[in-house]
Amino acid sequence: MKKILLLIIISLLWSTTLFAAGTQYDLRVDGLACPFCAYGIEKKLTKTEGVDSIAFDLEKGLVIVKVKEGMTLSEAQLKLLVEDSGFTMRSMTEKPII
Amino acid sequence: MKFIQSRLITTVCLIFVSGVVLAHDPVFGLGPHTLFKDGIETHVGFDQSKAGDNKVMESSLEMAYGLTGNWTARVEIPYVDRDAGATGISDIRIATKYRFWRRDGLGLQESSTAFFKIKPDTASNDRGNSAADFILGVAYGYESRKWYRWASVRYRFNGEALGNVDRGDKYLIDLVSGIRFKPSAYNEPDWVWMLELNGEKTKESQLNATTLANSGGTEWFLSPGLMWTLRNFAIKTGVQFSVVSNLNGTQDESDYRAKLEFEWHL
Repeated sequence: MKKILLLIIISLLWSTTLFAAGTQYDLRVDGLACPFCAYGIEKKLTKTEGVDSIAFDLEKGLVIVKVKEGMTLSEAQLKLLVEDSGFTMRSMTEKPII
Repeated sequence: MKFIQSRLITTVCLIFVSGVVLAHDPVFGLGPHTLFKDGIETHVGFDQSKAGDNKVMESSLEMAYGLTGNWTARVEIPYVDRDAGATGISDIRIATKYRFWRRDGLGLQESSTAFFKIKPDTASNDRGNSAADFILGVAYGYESRKWYRWASVRYRFNGEALGNVDRGDKYLIDLVSGIRFKPSAYNEPDWVWMLELNGEKTKESQLNATTLANSGGTEWFLSPGLMWTLRNFAIKTGVQFSVVSNLNGTQDESDYRAKLEFEWHL
């Protein structure tokens, strides 16, 4: 029974990775007080290869970046991008888009 | 003659003090904002000031560039229209801002910026002030999702004008508070209401080492203002009303100064 469960979990993880339509990066960004100021991040991300969509949740200090399948962004790359926009990236989480 | 000279000096000073604003900076005061790296800002502004019978209108075209996320360079081309009849491009201004300190938190940013602006003598005497001037300043800003606070100090070194008039230097102090009554989401129109207290102290001018009686003094202004933004577009407007005027001699007190600014970040 345990083996079957393990097999199911592995299969699910494998299928998620295989059939992922891209990757979503949730960036926790500090300093986002106004929408107008946040435009710098949008502008910089738009110019980044592979970025599909960008969304902001200013109340939570979140920048949600979706990238196309097969493309990845590194934490260092995103941190520099946010810094060049005049803000501070505190953390980042990454998950596949199913 | 001296009276006319002092009025001309005052007018040019008023024009020169205006300008160099970034959205989510105060309308009249100096704020700490800088552009994002490689960002381009285009800015169209309209100023009008009236002191006694002397009314001046100025429009300006400005371009700014983000050298880094903390360093912005700016060029400003003003176009003046004075009651006296002089119309055309005035002295070009070049400015830079460097943000030397920043503290970011969830939905808030505190920062401080150093500022430098130079106005070389590029226009004809009737449209400019026939002198090279420059300004040094420091600005502090606290910006949150709801509240804004700014403070700035500037010192303007005035060059010698036509006819050996040694124009008095000027101190400028700004204290500003702003509020966003309803926090807006990204891509939604955003409104911030402001109230500024702007102080100006000008030293007396001199002509051939003789102090001009009708020059220098102190003025304080109360200035309600508004900034409206939508994504990368901003409109700012405000009016300065003189609340304290202690000008030397027989100078005209400022009646009002108004500003309207349009700004795009590209």
